[in-house]
Amino acid sequence: MAILELTKVTGGYTRKPVIQDVSFSLNKGELVGLIGLNGAGKSTTIKHIIGTLLAKSGDVHLNGVTLQENMEKYRTSFSYIPETPVLYDELTLKEHLELTAMAYGLDELTLKERSALLLKEFRMERRLNWFPSHFSKGMRQKVMIMCAFLVDPPLYIIDEPFVGLDPLGIQSLLDQMNVKKQEGASILMSTHILSTAERYCDRIILLHEGRVRAQGTMDELRAIFHMPDATLDDIYIVMAKEQDHATH
Amino acid sequence: MQHIKQIWQLRLAHYSSELQKYMRFIFTGHIAIVIVFLLGAGGYQYSEWLKVVTSDFPVAWVMGGILGFAIAWSHPVTLLKEPDAVYLLPLEEKMPSYFSAANQFTFFSKIMISIALYIAAIPLLKVVSPITIQMIWLGLGIVIVLKYLHVQIEFAYRYVTRGDLIWLDRLLRFIGSGFTVMTYLNGWYYVTVCLFLLQLVYLIWLKKKMYGLPVPYEHFITIEQNRMMRFYRFANYFTDVPHLRGAVRRRQWLDMSYRLVPYQQKKAQHYLVWRTFIRTNDHFYLWLRLTVISALVAAFVDITMVRFIMAGALAFATAIQLQQALTKAGAFRMDMLYPLPDWARKQAATSVVRLIIILQAVIVMVSHMWQPYFYITGIIIVTVGFVTQKMMK
Repeated sequence: MAILELTKVTGGYTRKPVIQDVSFSLNKGELVGLIGLNGAGKSTTIKHIIGTLLAKSGDVHLNGVTLQENMEKYRTSFSYIPETPVLYDELTLKEHLELTAMAYGLDELTLKERSALLLKEFRMERRLNWFPSHFSKGMRQKVMIMCAFLVDPPLYIIDEPFVGLDPLGIQSLLDQMNVKKQEGASILMSTHILSTAERYCDRIILLHEGRVRAQGTMDELRAIFHMPDATLDDIYIVMAKEQDHATH
Repeated sequence: MQHIKQIWQLRLAHYSSELQKYMRFIFTGHIAIVIVFLLGAGGYQYSEWLKVVTSDFPVAWVMGGILGFAIAWSHPVTLLKEPDAVYLLPLEEKMPSYFSAANQFTFFSKIMISIALYIAAIPLLKVVSPITIQMIWLGLGIVIVLKYLHVQIEFAYRYVTRGDLIWLDRLLRFIGSGFTVMTYLNGWYYVTVCLFLLQLVYLIWLKKKMYGLPVPYEHFITIEQNRMMRFYRFANYFTDVPHLRGAVRRRQWLDMSYRLVPYQQKKAQHYLVWRTFIRTNDHFYLWLRLTVISALVAAFVDITMVRFIMAGALAFATAIQLQQALTKAGAFRMDMLYPLPDWARKQAATSVVRLIIILQAVIVMVSHMWQPYFYITGIIIVTVGFVTQKMMK
């Protein structure tokens, strides 16, 4: 069953659409990579999914509902880790976790149990009473990650997750993602680091100039592009060039 | 020579446009209303007091203290900038003409305060001072000359010592100028002349020491930066100063207050907004400032109507500014994704602002409990505050 389903989504910031007719879906327990170069429309697609941008046409179904149909169900069904950490300057780390737990309706015991595990995993136990102004970029990213995993939703949307994290942090994140996958959660991960995507994702969605150019497993992509043994980088470069030829 | 004067002219033009940009906000904000009311109420009280003041009031000492302070406080305004320490180095020999323009500007920008203070005191001097009316007016000239002297002295002192022990210099000059004013107003003119000459000798001595010393760029630049920072921080009370936004402090002593918000999903926005109010300096000090002004007016103004109007105006300012600040939707925040109704944020802001309006009412009522109808001031604050919130919906 699809946890997330985009059907012919067209939209953007102004009247000129950034993404056009974007359709794809994510099944339960899948890790899917949303791949594209800078400006391909990855972040815009994500903004349509999380509901900060509304589609001009097309639908986004999450957990069986659109945002308009059931706002509460839609929003409790995912958590989001933005590319640049967005924190409250006036809240401590502990309060960020507490606020998230409150907003998503977690009881206090669950908050305590889950946050203890996450704090240990990301080595942030001793920074509970710190304010974001004292955090490094990587630590800020860790706060976002912990808040997202605290909620334990069926879908995780992660934008450029590895930027700014140290190697241990990256490993902890991958471990967490794996655990959640095993438990049946789905993950949509946007990145332009193609080697990482190739290594960890079950499926890849190739976004180019606002449209889905191809999607599938690595083997399926190799078949589509008639490039046996190709890496994702090879495929991407070919795709970008053929698009250039088509426009010139 | 022409060149260095031009640099000063450009600096001055840039500085005044920067000043005007923010002054516009300062004087259209609530402070303008407050100043007008305070001046009006203060003037009225002063004139009432003049009718009953006795001739043994130590006016010379009081004026000596006040004017001594106003005269001794003479930061040089040089308008130097950080790159000047590098780019103006080759112009070292021409800098005296830059600084003489700077000192003139310092003098003219600061003299108004001393003049205003002295003129405001003239009616009082007429009633209680032993000196004649002509001598009272001549005193204004003395104050102006003293101020000019002290602007020159402070500049020279900083030039020579780079600000070392500036408090001692200021203390001495405070005593010097204060006693000059005091002795003059008491009619002890010989002492006045001696004190005046003493300060002149001090200036001449400093000027001699300045000779041959390099320009202390770093010290003057630091003074400039601090001065502009103070101005920006002040302007920030009235409008958003871009490079100063969002200073946050923990205020641990208020941690207790967080217990007001229970751990419940529907209270998540209350949890956030209450902390935002307590810890964001802009919001917290805005409330504190308006509440303190309102309380002081209530405590010290005898006219019931003025108390009511001020309390109402300040409650209006509190409600409108904080409600706006706490609900404004700017950049993306994580709480925009929370599974909470869209009106949750507004509702939380409304109840937080309601609480602090009530708190303001209580504080203002306590500040003048001995006055009749003090509880009406409280009712006015709460009513105006709540109605303002309602109107904004």
